Amino acid sequence: MRIFRFVVRRLLQLIPVLLGVVVLTFLLVRVLPGDPIRSILGQNATEADAAAARARFGLDQPLWRQFLDYLGGLVTGDFGTSIQSGASVGGEMALRIGPTLELVVIAVSIALVVATVLGVWSARRANRLGDHGIRLFALVGNSIPEFWLGLMLVLLGYSVLGWFPAPSGRVDPDANLTPITGADLVDAVLTANGPAISSAAAHLVLPVLTLVVGVVAPLLRSVRASALEVLNSEAYAAAAAHGLPPRTLLHGYLMRSTLVRLPALAALVFGTAIGSTVLVEYVYSWQGFGQWALRGLLYRDYPVVQASVLVIALCYVLVFLIADVVHAILDPRVRI
Amino acid sequence: MADLRAAGATGATARVTRSRDDRFARLLIITGAAILAVVAMAALAAPLLSSWGATEIDPAATLAAPGGAHPLGTDTNGMDVWSRVLYAARLDLGIAVAAVALAVLVGTLLGLVAGYLGGWLDDVLMRVVDIFQAFPTFILALAVAALLGNGTVNLIITIAAVNAPAYARLVRAEVRTQRELPFVDAAVTSGASTVGVLWRHLLPNSLTPVRVIAPLNCGWAMLTLAGLSFLGLGVSIPEAEWGAMISLGAADVVGGRWWTSVPPGLALFVSVLGFSLLGEGLQERANAKRR
Amino acid sequence: MLSIENLSVLIHRADRQVAALTDVTFAVRPGEVVGLVGESGGGKSMVARAVVGLLPTGAQATGQVRFGDADVLRMDPAALAAHRGRGAAICFQNPRGALSPTRTVGRQLSDRLVTHQEMSPRRAREAARELFEAVGIRSPQRRLDAYPHELSGGMAQRVMISLATGCAPGLLIADEPTTGLDVTLTREILRQFRHAADVDGRSVLLISHDLASIAEICDRVVVLYAGTVVEAGPAGQIFAEPAHPYTRALLRSVPDVGGRPVVATPGAMPLLQRAPRHCPFAARCAHADDTCTTRRPPATPMAGRRTDEWSLACFHPQSGPVAPAVEPAERSTASPTPAPVAGDAAVPGPAVLEIDDVHVVYRSRFGSGGHHALRGVSLRLAPGETLGVVGESGCGKSTLAKLIMGLVAPTSGTVSVAGQSLVRQPGRPTPRGRALRRLRTRAQFVFQDPIGSLSPRRRVGDSIAEPLRAAGLSAAQRQARVAAVLDRMELDRSILRRYPHELSGGQAQRVGIARALVGEPDLIVFDEPTSALDVTVQAQILAVIADVTADTDRASVFISHDLATVRGFADRVAVLYLGRVVEEGPVDVVFDSPRHPYTRALLASAARLGGEPTSGAAAVELVRELEEGDAATGCALAARCPFVTDTCRSQPQHLQPYGASRAACWRIPELDALIGKQAATP
Repeated sequence: MRIFRFVVRRLLQLIPVLLGVVVLTFLLVRVLPGDPIRSILGQNATEADAAAARARFGLDQPLWRQFLDYLGGLVTGDFGTSIQSGASVGGEMALRIGPTLELVVIAVSIALVVATVLGVWSARRANRLGDHGIRLFALVGNSIPEFWLGLMLVLLGYSVLGWFPAPSGRVDPDANLTPITGADLVDAVLTANGPAISSAAAHLVLPVLTLVVGVVAPLLRSVRASALEVLNSEAYAAAAAHGLPPRTLLHGYLMRSTLVRLPALAALVFGTAIGSTVLVEYVYSWQGFGQWALRGLLYRDYPVVQASVLVIALCYVLVFLIADVVHAILDPRVRI
Repeated sequence: MADLRAAGATGATARVTRSRDDRFARLLIITGAAILAVVAMAALAAPLLSSWGATEIDPAATLAAPGGAHPLGTDTNGMDVWSRVLYAARLDLGIAVAAVALAVLVGTLLGLVAGYLGGWLDDVLMRVVDIFQAFPTFILALAVAALLGNGTVNLIITIAAVNAPAYARLVRAEVRTQRELPFVDAAVTSGASTVGVLWRHLLPNSLTPVRVIAPLNCGWAMLTLAGLSFLGLGVSIPEAEWGAMISLGAADVVGGRWWTSVPPGLALFVSVLGFSLLGEGLQERANAKRR
Repeated sequence: MLSIENLSVLIHRADRQVAALTDVTFAVRPGEVVGLVGESGGGKSMVARAVVGLLPTGAQATGQVRFGDADVLRMDPAALAAHRGRGAAICFQNPRGALSPTRTVGRQLSDRLVTHQEMSPRRAREAARELFEAVGIRSPQRRLDAYPHELSGGMAQRVMISLATGCAPGLLIADEPTTGLDVTLTREILRQFRHAADVDGRSVLLISHDLASIAEICDRVVVLYAGTVVEAGPAGQIFAEPAHPYTRALLRSVPDVGGRPVVATPGAMPLLQRAPRHCPFAARCAHADDTCTTRRPPATPMAGRRTDEWSLACFHPQSGPVAPAVEPAERSTASPTPAPVAGDAAVPGPAVLEIDDVHVVYRSRFGSGGHHALRGVSLRLAPGETLGVVGESGCGKSTLAKLIMGLVAPTSGTVSVAGQSLVRQPGRPTPRGRALRRLRTRAQFVFQDPIGSLSPRRRVGDSIAEPLRAAGLSAAQRQARVAAVLDRMELDRSILRRYPHELSGGQAQRVGIARALVGEPDLIVFDEPTSALDVTVQAQILAVIADVTADTDRASVFISHDLATVRGFADRVAVLYLGRVVEEGPVDVVFDSPRHPYTRALLASAARLGGEPTSGAAAVELVRELEEGDAATGCALAARCPFVTDTCRSQPQHLQPYGASRAACWRIPELDALIGKQAATP
């Protein structure tokens, strides 16, 4: 019950931030240089054609009017129409979000598990060889450009070894996959399509690996630092000095205190992962949300840019909210 | 005085590892600084290290494999990869460092004022920071880069803009902690003016975390810049920039032609690693001091 | 039980080595309480670590730590694991930090019971409840599910004791168990250890910097100085007539509520690089001769005693009581001549400080309510006068200090320093800008944390001269003034170029006092200036402060939780409880015949040399802990006072004159009779 009140209070606190985000994205897009109408009509269009097109997209209205229309649309779940394709932005987005979530969720989940296990392991043998190895790995992971790592994995996994499919698409078209959610592996499993499962999985390996390396590094570093801090704390020292057995120490005194910090970090890392996905999708021609948003940005497709940036911010803010709640559950010191 | 941290099983090692940590920290700092020094030297000495210009085209060789006149081969435009990798260091290092410096300057100033004065100014500033931080930084960088367009100055502003809020928040938090410490009360009761307290007492003490984070941030800025260029929103060909070069070379990878994308990527990776090592070392040293 | 023989510990570090312990020999017998006493850096905690086999890894230990039949220094990991907790368990100094923040205290205790007493988890929970009850935790069933951050300091200390005893150790080690606790709680916590020895038959090693407070419950004490045992023997006798000059210096350095003057010993404990070849105390000792500086005195039995009974390491043993009884006539030399005015509202003349019916409420950031830190405090201070303010933590002392300094604005009421107001107050002119900055320097502050009150990245010289900047003095003038105060503080010029972290606590506090003096203020507020310092250093600083407060052109306020330090040099004293002044009057009157039940309780719990009766008035013992007392409408003490009536609960109490002092309690006339009746019916 208290946790419910806590969530509601946090949601209320989010309202001004979200409103700010909406205004910011709206304004950001309006001041973008370049004219979207020109870019779809081409150079030969007459002034009258352009004016007509402007009127069709509501771009001839004063700014405040456009904003109110936009806000009204948002409330009813209408993100407008894509200037480039003429299709509903909401519909396009629904198609694109599945594949991206598939990537991000798998990668972040793997990263969380790997980072927790390795981070605690590393801290417990601080300054020994294994620990140095882990730290080096984290440093490298922090410094390597994901898009380049992706390319190198393609070079090695496809061009040289030939173990993985070419970086073009998410599933073999011959597998005849019926799309349901847009996340191909999930769809393949849902439709019990054997060839599609293996094809989708094979396509996923390299992009997920690329994302995991980038995401696991900062997490690993923080988990290690957090565990080390607990290990060096008075509280842990006191428990050890009272002769508690190693198992009790690990589960009762080290793990929870270490993991208390994890939710906030995971949320932050989720944000990094969203950023990285744009790059990774580009490398692997993964037709997901990132590619779609990027194209919108490059072609000045206002409604697409607005909607995608807004949805990303919304996701990010919600993930932080979830992190807060998990933190509050894990850490008795948080007042809820 | 019973320093308990030294009394635990693992805590027992803390005292001794402190000096070891210190040496380790020094090693990290020296290695990082050395890497960066080499990269910076290479950038400056590019004309001496290569006979080709950054955008000079060799019509006789397009996508030529390494060897002969082109130690690292040429790209699809027939430009020498080795010399471009060298020249690119100028842009990449320059933009990253300038952007972080700008972000630190603006962020620190805002954080200092907001943290010390508090009140409505603090509220407004922090709400703006909240809104900025509701976006993942790279996404924000993409949007701002598209907004500002791609000149060198614009890229510096873009990267500075997405980083400044974090500095503002960091310095503000630090100032608010420091403000409660007795030495600030001491300065106030000794008749120091507000500017005096801010400038002579709070600023020097609040910069400690900034000093640790700025190098790490430089590395991140390089990655952001290269990422933007890779997607076509940063520096564009024919200018020499690692991300743009990798972007150009990406198409060759499927055909197994590695030399257009591997060298710029390695150069980028090693430079960022230099910053990471430096930052990690500074962090380690700060931790050792705090313990 | 425990027998330490010739234990030496050398700690090797990258840059230097430290001789932490040298030839330490002593024993703790079954069921005995032994006190390990000395200042920080003396090696007390290192002994504790050695006993549980947790020496720092760079440490090289020689000698023996015999526990039962085994030597802890030579135990294999399995034996050591069995020894920790079951053999010897430490009760840690800072209980809040030593309790795991994310596990309920009940489970933390159960973990110990399951591990060391082979209980089933269900049985352990039941036993945990009983243990909690045994250490005096109210509603133990509920507390089992509490997390450490939900506990008060005293409660956390009780939990810590239960954790240590829950290991069922043969030897219980308590490391400064009463640090940070209020005086009214200290005795009660210490009694727990006596109880553990008497009832459960455990041996107890009690580590403390304060010989006076633990002497009463210890059978024997061992005094450490610079890693060596200087004296060991029966607690009562060592406390009354110590033979080693260091033990005597230690005792003399502690201020006493009886008003005995503090005798400061110059110098500080050395940090030894190698085992000392001569007496480590020789440099500070008044009795030292050539022998002392060439040879290290071995531990020898006192005349007519066995070595294990009373031994000391000194060539020149002293005898006789440390503190001869102080005659009232003598006392007046200790405290400066009584100020010409007693701080009554009736007294005319200019006041340096005037506080009139001040309330301070800290509004909480969210919602209504807030913390009512001061509730109607009025004080008045004339030039040359020194006012002592005493009270436990949370009584509003620090708020009062900040209020005087203009760092906190009164919610209602008025404050003025030298007739002017430092903060915006309704209906009064407030100086601004440079005028305000100058006015601020009229009142100066000496902080509790001497190093923390100096700007970490500014040189000492800069910090001292800060008040002169506001006055707009030239660099040359500033230099001359700084040089003058440095001389008065007996500090070397070279200190001006150092940074705060390079100073010792004593040096830093001298710097702090120098900064307060340099602008020649009208008022200096000392906020617990010695509570962060070691005992002998504290004595030195108290001597400096006594000198400073004796200046007749300036008034001083001395704030402390420790009654004894106030008695040394205050003219008047005000006792603060939960934001109210409950008693106020001339210092000797308040200390010798306290009126208010709270003052009586405070004085009763203060430890004294020689164990003489605390004061002329009969003692009061409060019934509950400070955290549990909720301030209702009536008397602030109502929740804890043993003599509470419905009148107390409903009617607020105001200061009423009783003889030379004033107190806020309506039952004072009948109090002596009430206490007598209480004593008669146990």
